[in-house]
Amino acid sequence: MNNANALNESIQLSLPTNAAYVSAARLTASSIANRMVFDIDEIEDIKAAVSEACTFVIKNLPQQTQDCFKIVFGIAKESLTVTISVSASLPVSALREEIGIVMIKALVDELRLPGSDSDRFKIEMTKRHKKTAFD
Amino acid sequence: MDFIMEHQFDQTKNGWLIDISGEVDIFNSEKMKSRFLDIIESKKADLYVSCRNLEYIDSTALGALVTVLKHVKAYGGEIYLKSIKPSIAKLFKITNLNQVFIIEGDANE
Repeated sequence: MNNANALNESIQLSLPTNAAYVSAARLTASSIANRMVFDIDEIEDIKAAVSEACTFVIKNLPQQTQDCFKIVFGIAKESLTVTISVSASLPVSALREEIGIVMIKALVDELRLPGSDSDRFKIEMTKRHKKTAFD
Repeated sequence: MDFIMEHQFDQTKNGWLIDISGEVDIFNSEKMKSRFLDIIESKKADLYVSCRNLEYIDSTALGALVTVLKHVKAYGGEIYLKSIKPSIAKLFKITNLNQVFIIEGDANE
C-alpha cells in the first residue's frame, strides 16, 4: 500500500451548504492528515481550520442559494493545502474580523483569502509538516 | 457526532454541575446555548462545566458560550470550565477567551 506522501495527489469533496455536513468535512480532513502522518496536534489544527472555513461559507452564503461547496485537499510531500470554494459572492470585507478566520490564521502556516468580491469565493490554507513525513 | 449535556444542581457548591460531551459546531451550537439558558432559567447559579469528554467546539460554539456567560454575569454568576482537552484549550487561547472564562485543570487531571 502506498502512503500518502511523495505524490502530488488531490482529493475533492463536494458538500451541500448545510451545517449538518461540516462534521463530514472535519472527519475527511482528519483522515487525510492522519494518512500524511501529521502529528496529533497538527491534525487537530487542520480539522479545526477546515471546519471554520466551511462554517464561514455556510454562515455567510446569501439566502436562497441552493448550492454545494467544494473542498480540495492538495497532498504534497511536506504539506497539505486545503481549498474551500463556492460559486457565490461572500462578504469578503467581513473576513478579516471574523473570529473563525482569526482562528484559521493561528492554526495553519499559510492562509490565502480572496482580495475582492467575485462570483467565486475561495479560501486556501496550507499546513506544513513540522518534520517531513517518512524521514 | 452530536453533543450530550447532563446537569444536576449541587447544593454544596450552590451551583450547576454540567457535563458536556461530543462535538459542538455550527449545526448544534444554538441547541447547546438553549440548553444552557434553560438551566440558568430554572435556577440562577454558577455553572461548573466538565469538558472532559468534549471532543470539539468551533467558533459558533465559543460564541454561544460567550452569550451564556453574559447571562450568567448579569446575575453575578460565573462559568467554570474544567478538564478541557489541549486542542480545545488552544482555541480558547487563540481567541483570548481563556481570559474571559475561568478555566480549571486539563483533561489529564
